[in-house]
Amino acid sequence: MSALSTDTHSATTHSPAELREKKDRRRAISLLTPGLLWMFFFMVLPMAMVIYVSFWTQTTFSVNSTLTTASWKHFLSSATYLSAIWTTLRIWLIVLIATVVVGYPVALFIGLFVRNKTLQTALLVACVIPFWTSFLIRVIAWRPMLGTEGAINVILMKLGIISEPLTFLLFSEFSVLVGMTQIYCVFMVGPITFMLGRIDISVIEAARDLGASFGTIFRRIILPLSLPGVIVGAIFVSVMVLGEFATAASLSGRKVNLLGNIIVSQVGSLKWAFAAVAGVVLTIIITAVIALALRLVDLRKEM
Amino acid sequence: MLTLSRVSRRYGETVALSGVDFVVPENTYMSLLGASGSGKTTLLRLIAGYEEPDQGEISIDGERIDGQPSHLRDIGFVFQNFALFPHLTVAENVAFGLRYRASAPLTKESEIKERTEDMMALVGLSGFGHRAVSAISGGQRQRVALARTLVCEPRIVLLDEPLGALDANLRARMCDELKAIRERLGVSFLHVTGSETEALTMGDKVAVLANGRIVQSDAPDMLFNQPGNAEAARHLNAWNIFEAGLCRGDFSSGTIAVRFDQMDVSAEGAAPQGRPALGAKYLTGEFNGPTALSFFRADDGTLLQVIDHLSQPRLPDLVEGQRYDIHFAPQALRQFHGAA
Amino acid sequence: MESRILRPTLAIYTACFLLFLYGPMIVLAILSFQSIDGGPQFPIRDWSIYWYEHLLGLAETSRVSQLPVGESLIRSIVLAFMTTVVATVLGVMSAEAFRTKFKGSGPAFYLIILGMMVPGVLVGLGMALLSNTLDLGRAWWGTSFVLHVVYTYPFAFLVMLAIFNRFDRTVEEASLSLGVSPAQTFRRVTFPIIFPGVLSAMLFSFTLSYDEFARTLFTAGRDLTLPLAIYGTFSVEIYPNLFAFGVLTTLFSFTLLVIYGLLMKRFTSKASRYKGQEDA
Repeated sequence: MSALSTDTHSATTHSPAELREKKDRRRAISLLTPGLLWMFFFMVLPMAMVIYVSFWTQTTFSVNSTLTTASWKHFLSSATYLSAIWTTLRIWLIVLIATVVVGYPVALFIGLFVRNKTLQTALLVACVIPFWTSFLIRVIAWRPMLGTEGAINVILMKLGIISEPLTFLLFSEFSVLVGMTQIYCVFMVGPITFMLGRIDISVIEAARDLGASFGTIFRRIILPLSLPGVIVGAIFVSVMVLGEFATAASLSGRKVNLLGNIIVSQVGSLKWAFAAVAGVVLTIIITAVIALALRLVDLRKEM
Repeated sequence: MLTLSRVSRRYGETVALSGVDFVVPENTYMSLLGASGSGKTTLLRLIAGYEEPDQGEISIDGERIDGQPSHLRDIGFVFQNFALFPHLTVAENVAFGLRYRASAPLTKESEIKERTEDMMALVGLSGFGHRAVSAISGGQRQRVALARTLVCEPRIVLLDEPLGALDANLRARMCDELKAIRERLGVSFLHVTGSETEALTMGDKVAVLANGRIVQSDAPDMLFNQPGNAEAARHLNAWNIFEAGLCRGDFSSGTIAVRFDQMDVSAEGAAPQGRPALGAKYLTGEFNGPTALSFFRADDGTLLQVIDHLSQPRLPDLVEGQRYDIHFAPQALRQFHGAA
Repeated sequence: MESRILRPTLAIYTACFLLFLYGPMIVLAILSFQSIDGGPQFPIRDWSIYWYEHLLGLAETSRVSQLPVGESLIRSIVLAFMTTVVATVLGVMSAEAFRTKFKGSGPAFYLIILGMMVPGVLVGLGMALLSNTLDLGRAWWGTSFVLHVVYTYPFAFLVMLAIFNRFDRTVEEASLSLGVSPAQTFRRVTFPIIFPGVLSAMLFSFTLSYDEFARTLFTAGRDLTLPLAIYGTFSVEIYPNLFAFGVLTTLFSFTLLVIYGLLMKRFTSKASRYKGQEDA
């Protein structure tokens, strides 16, 4: 016993360098602990709770903790819920593509074609300013824009392009798509602009001097270098769109039901277990999307 | 007295210092000469306590300081980039240590002011106290860095290439001032530099750091005239180091060194009798003002340099690509044994 | 040659994009000056500031009930303030920890970043379930607050990480060499230098929390925050008072932004001193 203890004692005599390293590590960990504990108790634990409750027994007005897969069976056999998954994926994919298509040329212009730093910053700030308006106000602002007596219809009728107001503009899937694209587009523009801004202009000029057309330069230089930006932007847009419900609730006139809307309505009618099932499904989808994106790009390196 | 014994430091696979033995005596201006990447900054950081050694001991006046937190070591540090506190004025920078140090901070504003002003006067900063540190010149920043350190009366002051960020004129003037200030205060300075002229000018003693250890530590003239080994000689940038076997006649073996200014050049085959000589091809010359430097390539590829003072020219007219005999007095050579 | 066509095309496109971004808000601002008998749409019957008076409770009794903004606004500001303080402190501590390399820093990084990635409706649901199970009451200052921190702390952390990446460590070492303890060094040297960054982190946290809604929806309990109050009006018919409210909150946000700008400006002089140190 005593031999053992002297052994461990000699094993624990460390050089000053090791002691310093240990001390630094202890300091780092103690600085980090409160944050990590916070994340554990208020993020990891609630998420675990969602998974756990999805296996609880749902009665009309309450849940009890008897474990069952009834909620899952109910969810997976219900056409409403399954179509919500499909709607969520469809809206997500369309909005994702729309933000790239709409945002990329803007990023290209700001990041590559504007050489003046002040103008570049001014344009970026102009993109960000709308964020100082409440999210819900920005959503609701589409109503007077798209409604039958909204700005677009009024202008089109004044111009004589249409004689009857367009009714598909508001309270439809279209209005949800337009609203989401507008709100989330900036999260695509930002990262792409950042990556494009890193490109050394002289590389492009050299390629041009060698006779490369813009098409070739774009395909060979600009696109590959900006791709990490697109992916970071796609992560932002994806997590936000997949978890959405407010835009659909206020602009679709209940025609578009995303998984988020399902969760909100189930919680509203105290169907906690069903809400939890929808939550787990949503988590699985988001995890898959992020995992896919993270395989393509190391987030920590790009930050 | 600062003593380092068998101090080693590794970074993963790379060995920065391996068994440094080194002494900085009391009241001494010690220069530490080393090439970039030789570990000289690491050595200072170990002494200051920003890092710790893997092995070995560091002590001041017999008291071990490795393992102690930096702020309790009572060692001053002057950084190459000065590392002034950007949010404070010149006077606040100088008073910083007095006011906030952990042991015996000064609380009387009048005393802080008095000591700060005395120190600023000593380094020539009187009247600059209220300035922002961004609003003063490079040389003045250097003085602030120095004053800030010296006012705390540390046991020893470490200077990490303190003149590196200054232009040539200023550097010459700061050299003199640093020496004068140190002599006035009687504290030891350990001044790290990559420039052999700076090390030789400044130091009461000069140590050479190479391959992770101190290869020689001596008075400047001793070091310059009698380097103890090839490594030390190499750092002085004044010695040709080559294999004795290159010389005609079997008079020596191993590695030898001959100072640039003690070599003579003759036409091939015309070397005087009794002087060791070797054949070499003239490559090119370099005119440096009062001196001219000629470069030769010996038969085994070693580069040889011969210095000629304009006031006493010794060299014949040289033709590039031509072979010459290089010779020197037998007593001019220094012989090193063991690995170079 | 292509850029002669491409550049103006992209410039015009970008202008259209900005119109797309700002259009709805501009329309909303115009309609907020609708007259008393006008609806939340065109045409404008008559210009008036009636709906602003209505919003502030200055109008006479009307068929439209007043927006419940007063108390909820105060709650939202208090909540955002609490969130800002905690998130910034955690963010600074964590970023400071990440200045040392240590094992397990990768997973820790992703655990923190996860907080800004997890959809609000999910953590909101989880928190509601958890508080039900543990039989804890739900309140904006409790269950909502902790979730707001989960959301804003990663942002504050990333801002501080970027600040520390550019931070010159030697000033801290200089302070240590003057005999100043690590704690005092942080207080007297590190903190003043990183302060502009801390301010940015606080601004981030405040705006995110002030506007946060998905995380509050299931966790706020009885008393509503401002976004919840607005959300409540969505299900019923909307009136131009909501537009007037949108305009006012936007102005309020800009005021906040201006205050931030002024604070930053006060510190830029010091930041430029810092720059001066770098080119020395």
